[in-house]
Amino acid sequence: MPTNSIKLLAPDVHRGLAELVAKRLGLQLTSSKLKRDPTGEVSFSIGESVRDQDIFIITQIGSGVVNDRVLELLIMINASKTASARRITAIIPNFPYARQDRKDKSRAPITAKLMADMLTTAGCDHVITMDLHASQIQGFFDVPVDNLYAEPSVVRYIKENVNYMDSIIISPDAGGAKRAATLADRLDLNFALIHKERARANEVSRMVLVGDVTDKICIIVDDMADTCGTLAKAAEILLENRAQSVIAIVTHGVLSGRAIENINNSRLDRVVCTNTVPFEEKIKRCPKLAVIDISSVLAESIRRLHNGESISYLFKNYPL
Amino acid sequence: MRKCKIFVGNSHPELGNMVCQRLGIEPAPCTLKKFANGETSVQIGISVRDEDVYVIQSGSPSINDDIMELLILVSACRGGSARKITAVIPQFPYSKQCKMKKHRGAITARMLANLLVMAGADHVVSMDLHASQMQGFFTKPVDNLYGGPSLAKWIRENVEDYEDAVVVSKNPGGTKRVTALADSLKINFAMIHTDRRRSKDLYSQNKDLQQLKLRKQSMLRKNRPIVRQGDHPNEEENIILSNGIQTARIRNGHVIGDDEADDDEDAILESDSELNSIDALDSHGLGGTYDAVDSEDEEEVPVLYREQLITLVGNVRGRSAIILDDMIDRPGSFISAAEHLVQNCGAKKVYVVATHGIFTGDCLEELEKSDAIGTIVVTNTYPISAERIAGSKKLVTIDVSPIFAECIRRDHYGESISVLFDSLAAL
Repeated sequence: MPTNSIKLLAPDVHRGLAELVAKRLGLQLTSSKLKRDPTGEVSFSIGESVRDQDIFIITQIGSGVVNDRVLELLIMINASKTASARRITAIIPNFPYARQDRKDKSRAPITAKLMADMLTTAGCDHVITMDLHASQIQGFFDVPVDNLYAEPSVVRYIKENVNYMDSIIISPDAGGAKRAATLADRLDLNFALIHKERARANEVSRMVLVGDVTDKICIIVDDMADTCGTLAKAAEILLENRAQSVIAIVTHGVLSGRAIENINNSRLDRVVCTNTVPFEEKIKRCPKLAVIDISSVLAESIRRLHNGESISYLFKNYPL
Repeated sequence: MRKCKIFVGNSHPELGNMVCQRLGIEPAPCTLKKFANGETSVQIGISVRDEDVYVIQSGSPSINDDIMELLILVSACRGGSARKITAVIPQFPYSKQCKMKKHRGAITARMLANLLVMAGADHVVSMDLHASQMQGFFTKPVDNLYGGPSLAKWIRENVEDYEDAVVVSKNPGGTKRVTALADSLKINFAMIHTDRRRSKDLYSQNKDLQQLKLRKQSMLRKNRPIVRQGDHPNEEENIILSNGIQTARIRNGHVIGDDEADDDEDAILESDSELNSIDALDSHGLGGTYDAVDSEDEEEVPVLYREQLITLVGNVRGRSAIILDDMIDRPGSFISAAEHLVQNCGAKKVYVVATHGIFTGDCLEELEKSDAIGTIVVTNTYPISAERIAGSKKLVTIDVSPIFAECIRRDHYGESISVLFDSLAAL
């Protein structure tokens, strides 16, 4: 049996999720120091030996300073590599640049692929992420990627907090129809979809509702919420079509720009996000926000990965 | 075209020759044969030193041999000091395996991408990749051409009152493709969801009086566009409701009526228990990542899911329905979708439209037999034998060789290919 043990590393900002995972695993975060010198460069040092240890680096990448977080993560991976760690696993619940996953316009970069190459080059041996924008991103990596699902946590949340027998699942765009259909199947509910034609970026011009929502509690599901303009607009459309009430459940609540104002001014009853993205300070400004904690899923996947057990159980079940 | 050689592989010589003809050059001479022991042998009959080389090879029923032939051809050109090698692969083989589907599944499309780059390809041209994210599998540039404009052009010219037609996705995963076509034709869309898990009880519950009343209300409301002024004075906001959900049962791949009797209780119980055991296997399998969200891509339904529910979200009553997908591989889901559209939802005529007509086994014949399907439209990216085309009254093939010819010409002369993405219908 290997005698190595789990070492959890986290950058110095947004440690909330890492601390929850550590608590769940009954471990301490490994002491480390991240220094930023006045020019903005980052230096990183690990406070104890990690030679031949199993390293897990937990980052939460939110809105605003994505690139700094990415570079910090790469430096931390590389530092662990040069410190002779046995295996380095990057846990990136909200994978950055996941939406730039194809040439949607001529001469557009595939930045998600670049991110994958950078992580591998830095020395990453394994990646754990959650609800990738497109599951094909798994194929961008040369190392194994475990794409966890928030769905079991979402199902649990809906069963405990929503009168779900009177609900209907809504996909806010055509691309998310599959996600909505799967969730609807899990809960034995119907689903409907809203299609929008974008005239300009982040501006919704025409919306089509396909499906019947009369007197139903509408649960909008999506993988990511940015400015929440779309969610607010979708809520309007649904209520105009005699929906009873509207709540939104998104995996990655990036909530950038005017998101909080948009949610507060909208007719959404509630916006539920998982804590893959840090938004502690936003929740104080927005009474409609609620959180699904997914730290137990991450903790369980770390435990299983370290002990060489199967992870697929977590794709359909919530760990107890 | 100076300093340019085009090699045509064995998978689909008709398409390759048409591309060459369009470009006004002869296919470069090469001998492609197989040794007695099954190995593929390639001999290039002309110098390729410092030339711009294009290799045209699509998928075909002997897919693995064709892949090997393509790799050897590319590698031979690399060895012959070609300046640049472009693999033109109209239908990218293994493109359905572009993500992990089962536990420990391989991402074979990615492996094929690696193989091509290893063999020496500098550039890849394909059409309607199963997922556009596959471009990221390559470390070399990929041009993913669209078949959509050609299909849209055919629809405009051949579907009577196409302005009133509805584009239908036969599974939720394809909705994005469907909405893109619907938007470009400025017509409505709908989608079909086939459900293998929902209990029978829910179906009967669906049938109860209140539900029927609600459905009637929604039918009355259907199709009444609400036009409303947008936030900006010049921008008209147009909210169109197409309400209505239609549900029916399918058994053994065919739609059955409401009044049809159930199978004997035993059989249902049996299939239920089988179903449960499958679920149990799924959830307690060992290791590996697998795509729970997208696992419904497997279109063919195993025999043990004897009865399913099929649901149309949208409205097709009295209109033509156009079922769109990127490939027609196996017939089952197309037939049940078409039957549902015609028998239960009142569609006038059903068109089955796709870019790649792969027609595995007797797929084409099955589609031909189905009364619900009116016309089948595919492009010629994948070889379909002349006898099969002659034997089918419903099949229409659209020639896309001008698109590939123009792409090769532009690429060779260093011109932009991006105009090809939208204005192709004119070719």
